[in-house]
Amino acid sequence: MPAQLPLPSSQSGRRLFLQRLAATAAGAVLAPTLLQACKGSGSGNGNGSGELVMSTFPLYIDPDAPGAPGSVSRFRRDTGIQLRYLEDINDTRQFFARIRPQLAAGRPLVQDLMVLPSWMAQRLIGLGWLEPLPLAQVPNIRNLVPYLANPPWDPQQRYSLPWQSGIAGIAYNIKATGRELARIDDLFDPALRGRVSALLEMRDTMGLLLLADGQDISQPTWAAAQPSFARLEQARKDGQIRRFTGNDYQNDLLAGNLAACIGWSGDVAQLVLEQPDLRFVVPESGGVLWSDVMLMPKGAQHRREAAAWMNWVYEPVEAARIAAAVQYISPVVGVRQQLAKDPATAALAANELMFPDGAMQQRLHSFGPLSESEEARWEERFASITEG
Amino acid sequence: MPASPRAEAAVRARRFWPWLLLAPGLLWLLGLYLLPLLGLVPLSLSEPLSRFGLETVFRGRLATYLEVLQAYGPILWRSFGYAASATAIGLLLAYPLAFAIRFRGGRWQPLLIGLVVLPSLTSYLVRAIAWTSLLGDNGPVLALLQSLDLTAAFNGLGLLRDGRLLNTPTAVILGLLTNQLPFLVLPLVLAMERIQPCLLEAAADLHAGAWRRFTQVVWPLSRPGLAAGILLGLIPAAGDVVNPLFLGGPNERMVANTIDNLLLVQLQAPRAAALTLVLMALVTLAVLLQLRGRGLDGLPLP
Repeated sequence: MPAQLPLPSSQSGRRLFLQRLAATAAGAVLAPTLLQACKGSGSGNGNGSGELVMSTFPLYIDPDAPGAPGSVSRFRRDTGIQLRYLEDINDTRQFFARIRPQLAAGRPLVQDLMVLPSWMAQRLIGLGWLEPLPLAQVPNIRNLVPYLANPPWDPQQRYSLPWQSGIAGIAYNIKATGRELARIDDLFDPALRGRVSALLEMRDTMGLLLLADGQDISQPTWAAAQPSFARLEQARKDGQIRRFTGNDYQNDLLAGNLAACIGWSGDVAQLVLEQPDLRFVVPESGGVLWSDVMLMPKGAQHRREAAAWMNWVYEPVEAARIAAAVQYISPVVGVRQQLAKDPATAALAANELMFPDGAMQQRLHSFGPLSESEEARWEERFASITEG
Repeated sequence: MPASPRAEAAVRARRFWPWLLLAPGLLWLLGLYLLPLLGLVPLSLSEPLSRFGLETVFRGRLATYLEVLQAYGPILWRSFGYAASATAIGLLLAYPLAFAIRFRGGRWQPLLIGLVVLPSLTSYLVRAIAWTSLLGDNGPVLALLQSLDLTAAFNGLGLLRDGRLLNTPTAVILGLLTNQLPFLVLPLVLAMERIQPCLLEAAADLHAGAWRRFTQVVWPLSRPGLAAGILLGLIPAAGDVVNPLFLGGPNERMVANTIDNLLLVQLQAPRAAALTLVLMALVTLAVLLQLRGRGLDGLPLP
């Protein structure tokens, strides 16, 4: 029987909007208490409950819909494993601050799996705070797309398995801009002053600006980044950039507070269902390709259950359902064929943002590694711009 | 006559009782406020041990304070500027409101006070998010200004920035103002409650007109209410984190946002501690200036 993939509807779009708003609010409630480091799921002393616990970003999987259970429900039903799926990562660095005390003290977290960007994976591997993944029990790892296998920071694929990849580029509302945008320079157009936002994810924002300056972001250097930093700082001071955002740029795009922004490909694909005037474009100078990966923190206890989950989401049928909902680049071979089979999702199979062809791949660049001292310098400079 | 041992014991008990009653509150203050605050002092003089940790080593490093003042001085000024603006505008609104409640409220007085307090029953976070819809570029407030052809004038006054309201200083100050309005109105109502009607009657008997009765009786006697309002309004506003986050942009960040970011995102605990202590010192200074040796006794604190 061919997989019946849930077709995203505008109704689910509205629900997503409300969920997004709730997620934004939750993130903001936690931050001001200044107690986040000692709060919530990061504070557990391990998890011996028999329940698989996973932390990830909001709206990164197909949710339950009436008559169509989402992946989390179907995994529970198919395997009998209790999965607690926490959408509690709002900002990568804040999440790191939350889990850091336990990991540094050698105490296990409540989480068995976490979905984090590859640069954070690299940091955690370096700190020795990860368990090797039980990949021997994940036969479906054979479905991992070859170009994502064995990244330079995890050369033997011991600690990480990709969840989704995506593209940072320009999102805009064609009615608000009055014209198509194609270049990063367009974000600095005085006509758009105060109606542009950039991402707090440094590698995405700086990556795009560096590419626009003709720099090679696979080997970022401090000296080469100075013009881009200066340009960003000036734009903030001039009021060109209205906000620096995490996922919450989505609310502002829908509410019409932003004409254009730096955004993520899959988000915009989902937002178009609610606001057809939205567009996403990979800038002429190139887009930033990023990857989020599944990781197992040191001391995680549910290895068998985690392996079952990873194996389950690497089934092409299940991966296709997730891909159809989130519209990012799936790391699983065979997803495109699954999507093409179903008339409801056939159009997605031709989407070059989900399945970049050769020409598109040429335009996508990954942000290269920064040494620890370099990263500290970059982050401090970036924070001085984003935090006023 | 020497006091009997029994009377002496009674005196001792009388001295002892107030302390016993104060003990829970004092222990609470000591354990959860004073000790953590004192703990910030050595932390602010320390250096981080590693980039990815909050662990520090004490080095007696005073330079952190200099760095913090240099880097975040403008944000401190901005924070107190926004808080002072919000309090000043708030008092302009609160004074007539309190006056009307006290002298014209009649039997509706409890209801009117209830209405002033009502918005505080909603979470301040929900209120800030609600403001983002109201003040947004396509929101009703801007639509009203546009329909009244006031956008250009408001732009000229600097109240709008490029024709928008959300993510501007105006929006942040408006958010702070709504948070503190009940704290400005209530002490004023209390202060005005203390004004004896017979004083106003006496003034009237002495041929004082309404304006003179106000300037010579009501105003001087209600001033402790203003002082209490400033105390209760200004201090929380200077340390607000939610309004600048939702209603401001990167150019409207306030000091609490910076402390939050330093501690939780940049993991620079000594800098966060130093900035917190500087803020506390400035707030204490503001309180001392406000009281100027008068003490809290005369203030109509609700």
